[in-house]
Amino acid sequence: MALTGRAALLALLGTLAVLFAPRPALAVAAVALLLAALVAIDLALAAGVRPLRLHRAGDRLVRLGETATVELIVENPGPRRARGLLRDAWPPSAGANPRRFVLDVPPGERRRLVTTLTPSRRGDREAVTVTVRTLGPLGIAGRQGSHSVPWSVRVLPPFLSRKHLPAKLSRLRELEGRHPSMIRGQGTEFDSLREYVVGDDVRSIDWRATARRHDVVVRTWRPERDRRVLIVLDTGRTSAGRVGTAPIPLAGELPRNRNVPGGAGIAPGWPRLDWSMDAALLLAALASRAGDRVDFMAHDRAVRAWVSGAGRTDLLATLVNTMAPIEAELIEADSAGMVSAVLSRAKRRCLVVVLTDLNPASLEEGLLPVLPQLSSRHLVLLAAVSDPQVAAMEAGRGTAELVYDAAAAERHSAERRRITARLRRQGVEVVDAAPEQIAPALADAYLALKAAGRL
Amino acid sequence: MSSPTGLAPVNVPGTGESRPTSPTAGSLWRGGRGALLAALLVVLVAVGGVLLSGGQDPGRPLDPESTALTGSRGMAQLLRANGVRVVRVTSVTEAVTAAEGAQSAGGSTLLIGDTSFLDEEEVERLAAAPADRLVVGDQPYLTLLAPGVNPGPAVRTRSREPGCSLPAAVKAGSAYLGGTTFTTPFGGVGCYPANGSPSLISYADEGRTVTVVGDGQFMSNLRLAEDGNAALATNLAGARPTLVWLVAPETPSESGAAPQSVYDLIPPAVGWAVVQLGVVVVLLALWQGRRLGPVVTERLPVVVRAAETVEGRARLYRARRARDRAVSALRTGFVDRVIPRLGLPATATPDAVVGAIVERTGQPAAYVGSALYGQAPADEAGLIAVAAYLDMLERQVRES
Repeated sequence: MALTGRAALLALLGTLAVLFAPRPALAVAAVALLLAALVAIDLALAAGVRPLRLHRAGDRLVRLGETATVELIVENPGPRRARGLLRDAWPPSAGANPRRFVLDVPPGERRRLVTTLTPSRRGDREAVTVTVRTLGPLGIAGRQGSHSVPWSVRVLPPFLSRKHLPAKLSRLRELEGRHPSMIRGQGTEFDSLREYVVGDDVRSIDWRATARRHDVVVRTWRPERDRRVLIVLDTGRTSAGRVGTAPIPLAGELPRNRNVPGGAGIAPGWPRLDWSMDAALLLAALASRAGDRVDFMAHDRAVRAWVSGAGRTDLLATLVNTMAPIEAELIEADSAGMVSAVLSRAKRRCLVVVLTDLNPASLEEGLLPVLPQLSSRHLVLLAAVSDPQVAAMEAGRGTAELVYDAAAAERHSAERRRITARLRRQGVEVVDAAPEQIAPALADAYLALKAAGRL
Repeated sequence: MSSPTGLAPVNVPGTGESRPTSPTAGSLWRGGRGALLAALLVVLVAVGGVLLSGGQDPGRPLDPESTALTGSRGMAQLLRANGVRVVRVTSVTEAVTAAEGAQSAGGSTLLIGDTSFLDEEEVERLAAAPADRLVVGDQPYLTLLAPGVNPGPAVRTRSREPGCSLPAAVKAGSAYLGGTTFTTPFGGVGCYPANGSPSLISYADEGRTVTVVGDGQFMSNLRLAEDGNAALATNLAGARPTLVWLVAPETPSESGAAPQSVYDLIPPAVGWAVVQLGVVVVLLALWQGRRLGPVVTERLPVVVRAAETVEGRARLYRARRARDRAVSALRTGFVDRVIPRLGLPATATPDAVVGAIVERTGQPAAYVGSALYGQAPADEAGLIAVAAYLDMLERQVRES
């Protein structure tokens, strides 16, 4: 049951009647009785909420930053016209609009209400509940009730780095050569035989085939294919830190007027995890086009997600779907567990791309001691997102405070350089780039490895 | 690129079918009847308790109708049993009328326990009434009621011996007295002395016996049964066939026309209109307070900027003025960046680094050496200067 402003207005008019009535006490009672009677009549004549039938239709998937529409179909099987208000409740970060609808469904008919969702963070957004308030003919009181109409919209990572994909693909084609290469070198494998044309390197003539075909035949080569790439996403505490500026504002931003030394008014960007996902998607897109098999694993203290054996066409779709609900956990990542999970899953040699942070403390405790087990069997590439805020602090000069900030930032960078050098000595490739550059930098590193035939 | 919206639907829950979640009247009754029963039980126990305990007397001291511990109903009963007519009055006019009425029937005793509600003129009329007076305690206008008796120092009330020849006191024996001591007027008898001053005075004034006691507790229901309290009380108050007992009225404003309050001028309809306005407010609250559906909560990810650890270290440097650590961090960063440009190995000695920089930039070797490997700056101006000099060196190395 619910009352409207009209009930209060009627009571207010009743005040006038009480003021001028000869027997005011009686008038108060009379007004109350009258109001109660009107409310009872309205309640009795309002359409029932319970018999309403509601269905949903619409989008199930949306990329972060885009807008999805979800329809709610309200069917009124009852004998009375359902007039009133309807609220389709979604979690705040789903960005539902409008928040409430004016409902008017004649008996036996149905109406379609469209909610647009503009989510402000990744993950699954579940519809909470639909609440309907139907008013009686007088509009004084109404019935109210809720329906559970389950629906879920999965918000996918935006994959903003896909703008880099054409450039990297053309680099790949260059490398691959639409024209098969004549040069046999590292990182190439036998492609096909074709007839000799003038200008071909005589060293590439396949004499055995020439003998069979009564024609001079040369071998052609192409970059190696069908290598394996395993992308490992660290979802531990270090990936929760926010860096850069968010291209799409995420839910849960801090107010902008924070008094932070050297960074006053800087809004927190995206978590490292989201930048890493972006880079992982670009790498996966590139590697699958290059003919390599891409597997994916998310790990902190346990395996959070595992994608293996996805075909070339549905690899990206599977990946974004898998990544969507992953959030950084506020626990220390278990590197030994990660290494053993990789070793048990990847039987053949592959390129293991670990997306984590170059945090000296956690790397020295966690990854470095167990790294030899991994790098002895696989090629390891460690990609980390650096913090542009630290770079900005490094440049601070002029006042003592800014110089102290710069010194702290320098010290942080020196530690990163030291750990990077240690990793490189162990034969690990390291990519350390700013948030906006991490995806292309990782793609470049992959292409360089491929060109060098180290996969 | 395949568009994510063109994908096959993932295995997410939700079929899109609706299910009412609001409670029905039946489920509300089933869920709430236990609580309702408990509430009803509490109300019943409370009402029963109040009804069984009966009305509690607020307790007016020295009131012949009060059954509280400080009241004096016991004494009034005792007097009536002894054949004394006890007349309870609440105004001077009644008291004087009662006293005059009893004049022909052997006279009366006027018991005055509280004169704080009387004015001077009323006290004079009281003093002029044809009756013996029994004044309790140090009352206002004591000089009018008992001329010649002056209050002395206050003493503790306790059981005391009569210590005098007053028959009423001698017969009663020890009694619970004290309170105020008095000076004995000429011809009077002082009894129950405390520290040498009597707390009970009896003397004759214009043919009437005036008795003043320092404290009335010996007449209360609580003390009446102790010592000779009951005897003393009946001896003092029951000396005449009639006892006129003056107590303060329930509502003191009794004399004259009470001043009219502002509220009396407002017509009664306004009061009821205010009640009606209260109803309006309640309805408004019900209208605005009814939420359309539940409050939706959400578990949000943590928001922590990655640079906070670096900022924290910077604050520590600032707080401790750690110039040595700051300058060493700046120097390390400078050397790490400059060494590859100079074509030196990472293991280059300080002399080799300084030499190479001097060669490239033409800066004095002493300056470069002290900026790179010298003492930590003595003050913050020195720190700023070293930072600026390193910047300049780095720019020159890069541009040369």
